[in-house]
Amino acid sequence: MVKHSKWARASILTLAIASVGALSACGGSNSSNTASDGGSGGDSGSGKVTLRFFSNLPDRKSGQGLAEQTVIDHYMAENPNVKIDVETLAEEPFKNKLKAYMSSNEPLDITMVHGGAELNTLVQAGYVRELDPKEYEGEKYNFLPGVYKSFSFNGKLYGLPRNSDYEVIYYNKKLFEDNGVKVPTTFTELLDAAKAFRDKGIAPMSINGKDLWSFGEMFQNVVQRYSGDQNLILDAVDKKKKFTEDENFLKAAQFLQQLRDVKMFQDSFMTADYGASQNLFTQGKAAMWYMGSWEAGMATNESLPEDFRNNLGVIQFPVAEDGKGKIDDLLAWNGGGYALVSSSKHPEEAKKFFDYLMSADQWAKTAWDTGAAVPAQKYELTGKESEVQKTLTDILVNATSTAGASFIDYGTPKYKDDTQNAFGKFFSSNEKPEQLLADLQAAADSQ
Amino acid sequence: MHRVFRNKTAIFLFVFPGMLLFALTFLAPIVLSGYYSLTDTLGPGTKVTMVGLDNYTNLLFHDSKFWLALRNAVLLGIGFIVIQHPICIFFAVLLDRIGGKAEKVFRTIFFIPCVISVVVISKMWLSLLDPTFGLVNKVLDVLGLDMLKHAWLGESSTALGSMLFILIWAGFGWGLLFYYAGVKGIPEDLYEAAQLDGASGLKLHWRITVPLLSPVITVQVTLAMITALKQMETVFLTTNGGPGDSTQFLAVYLYNKAFSASQYGYANAISILFIVVCLIATYLSNRLTRSDATEY
Repeated sequence: MVKHSKWARASILTLAIASVGALSACGGSNSSNTASDGGSGGDSGSGKVTLRFFSNLPDRKSGQGLAEQTVIDHYMAENPNVKIDVETLAEEPFKNKLKAYMSSNEPLDITMVHGGAELNTLVQAGYVRELDPKEYEGEKYNFLPGVYKSFSFNGKLYGLPRNSDYEVIYYNKKLFEDNGVKVPTTFTELLDAAKAFRDKGIAPMSINGKDLWSFGEMFQNVVQRYSGDQNLILDAVDKKKKFTEDENFLKAAQFLQQLRDVKMFQDSFMTADYGASQNLFTQGKAAMWYMGSWEAGMATNESLPEDFRNNLGVIQFPVAEDGKGKIDDLLAWNGGGYALVSSSKHPEEAKKFFDYLMSADQWAKTAWDTGAAVPAQKYELTGKESEVQKTLTDILVNATSTAGASFIDYGTPKYKDDTQNAFGKFFSSNEKPEQLLADLQAAADSQ
Repeated sequence: MHRVFRNKTAIFLFVFPGMLLFALTFLAPIVLSGYYSLTDTLGPGTKVTMVGLDNYTNLLFHDSKFWLALRNAVLLGIGFIVIQHPICIFFAVLLDRIGGKAEKVFRTIFFIPCVISVVVISKMWLSLLDPTFGLVNKVLDVLGLDMLKHAWLGESSTALGSMLFILIWAGFGWGLLFYYAGVKGIPEDLYEAAQLDGASGLKLHWRITVPLLSPVITVQVTLAMITALKQMETVFLTTNGGPGDSTQFLAVYLYNKAFSASQYGYANAISILFIVVCLIATYLSNRLTRSDATEY
């Protein structure tokens, strides 16, 4: 039939074209839009400089993203010859793309970096510039003591921290009150709270299980609560101790097993990324959220329901009844920060902006005043702080000891990957605590 | 004109740009990848130490995840061929028989999943399969089938099955389109002749449609195997290989090794084996489905 064969020819032709399109799409062109107006060429005539800024804060309207953007806008207003192009991606894609940029030596100017293992790779590739710590002493910057730990390698400094990071539990006061649940201060109370919320059909605690790293922080928290020693787990990463031998590790792993058994985390925790776990909590569907001090901005974020903001509370990680750790021992470190990129096309302009950004009266002040985060620099209380901010400050100021590093970031990137996957395996199956410890030990041995 | 085509220099000039492009965009990366696969580098620019074939021996003999990822990919390929394709052929024939306006409408409906971006599909299935708020579990609730409820993508026992379902569903439209084009290409008089000879219904299609579709089937089987091996986006966006390693696929594993674990050398070794596996799969599926071209 003529009609049919015409159809056939047309269909096959369309298919052929479409499949060529589809196949070539698989190759995936990775040209970045921001790259095209990188600036050195056309702009140089008028003396205008375009700086490329890469950040892990896609939300520019609230919290840390807003604080970051505010500083950038200030700088551009004060320096009309400088334009700052901001490229942002969410946490996990950001980390991956930064490595891709590193591989191709992309001429970024300033980038957000994660201290520890992630930054170490960038340092080894020579992708970030060394900084002189002497320049950042004194009043202008006002960094708290000991905050360079995750940003220094072989005694050299490669980035500056932007926050004091520490793990806390955010909780929904209303959910606790309405259901008559006691806000937990001990492990037993934490488990009881989980059972009580489960009975009411509410998810006790939200966690970003897909990203895996929160499990690591929690394990470190629990180990400290049993041992009372902040350095034990870091020593285990350094192979001075063994995960499989110290009984504090076993107790901690057994406690994680209990958390798993009482269904502490939301049902979808293994597929929940950062945003999904946060949404669950901010929409009042989970009673607690295990996250860090960098989320202080939730209390002032107008895009969140007012009812939620008014009921947002913060507590320290509970203590073990039979453990040596105190409630004021804090799992604190300096994780996020900024670094200068060595392949920058405008190294001097980039450095000027970087110094401006890191001045105590810019990032630190803006972040604190907007309630976005707890800075790694000295800041002054304005009296207008949110309740959450005041509690977070108290927690930090009253800390009797701090960890100084997050153990998953204390080894190589491979170590981090292996360790995180061990936790993922443990929480998504019925694996025994002993097996988890064996996996952690294997990760430490093979790094 | 003939003189030009017989001239060796002219042939070379015509072919050279294409060959150059091929060499630069395909061969060079593979060679470079092969080089990196023999090192333990963390990424280009970092220190490069030759480790010989260590990466390969580790992969082949000590890395259960690699084999798991490969097994999952093969399962997906089998799923495509055994489940997806028969359904595609069935619907292609149905579409052809329906005719008229309905044919166009259904053709469009069936192809919709292929037009939607992978990100949207992934997020959509994540919410459909969400244990608390997802439609699937809600429906089970309403039907009183509570015991069948699962955290579909979040439990080791159901994650792979759910993932295969999503991928088979998402690829259905493409398969259908290929087979539909194939069915449309079969001349009507063959059916008429067969009907005169007494064939009808299922027998008609089994004897006429399926054999005449064999060139399309050959191509489709090969494409299915390669698609399965290359699967990356949906897995990355939904489970990222988890929970544990239950939905680990080769491309996701490779990506995470290169960019999360900074084992760039090792990841390159995976990619080289990946190419080898793809070539073997293509060769095998071609051999198994080879048949003489049908002329009509």
